[in-house]
Amino acid sequence: MMKILKDASNHTLLVVLCMTMSACSVAPWERGNLAKRNMLISPNPAHSSLRAHVFESKEASSGGSGGAGGGCGCN
Amino acid sequence: MRILLLMLFLTFSDSSVMALEVDDLSVSCPAIMEEEKVPLNLQKFRGKVIYLDFWATWCPPCMKSMPFLNSLRNELVEQGFEIIAISVDEEPEDARKFLRQYPIDYLIAIDSTGQCPKTYDVKAMPSAYFIDRKGVVRYIHLGFREGDKEEIRRRVLELLAENEGK
Repeated sequence: MMKILKDASNHTLLVVLCMTMSACSVAPWERGNLAKRNMLISPNPAHSSLRAHVFESKEASSGGSGGAGGGCGCN
Repeated sequence: MRILLLMLFLTFSDSSVMALEVDDLSVSCPAIMEEEKVPLNLQKFRGKVIYLDFWATWCPPCMKSMPFLNSLRNELVEQGFEIIAISVDEEPEDARKFLRQYPIDYLIAIDSTGQCPKTYDVKAMPSAYFIDRKGVVRYIHLGFREGDKEEIRRRVLELLAENEGK
């Protein structure tokens, strides 16, 4: 019985630990790599812009493709 | 079990407990002065008003602040004002390359280890610590926008007016 309880507490701790690992923050001065161009969701803006233009022409609608903002942590 | 508890402790332990705040005495940190290749020693600058700036080449507002800071420094250097700009680029060569392209007159230090921003608990990029003639952090300015120029200038002039000539 004690062994089962001990195992259960160990597993619970492991699960809590795994869940909290996602809460680790990136400090403002550590965002150099995140600010690199190849970290963009869309690494080729010209290509994305062309695709958006074609899409808007075909669908007669625009927007809904995300918001502004980067990941460099500036300001 | 002990290892798991240790890991939990490390996960939640707060490294910013010793962070510097306003009215604290400024401390030196292991940044290397670019010109002299010696560790940054803020004691050496006692008697001067220091603008300790944390910047990086990947930070557009940092770049934007540099021409203004350079002109402010050159205007007030005779009155005992100096700027020490600590680059926190992971690759020191990025900062050097940038500075070769856009030279500035104030002092540059490089800390690619992240120890200095950790010591000062930098909360945004750029961050500036206004240090008075006695070495006390008097004001912390986060970020840089066009509208900040007047405030930065005013605060520097205020600090320069204190204990003038001492």
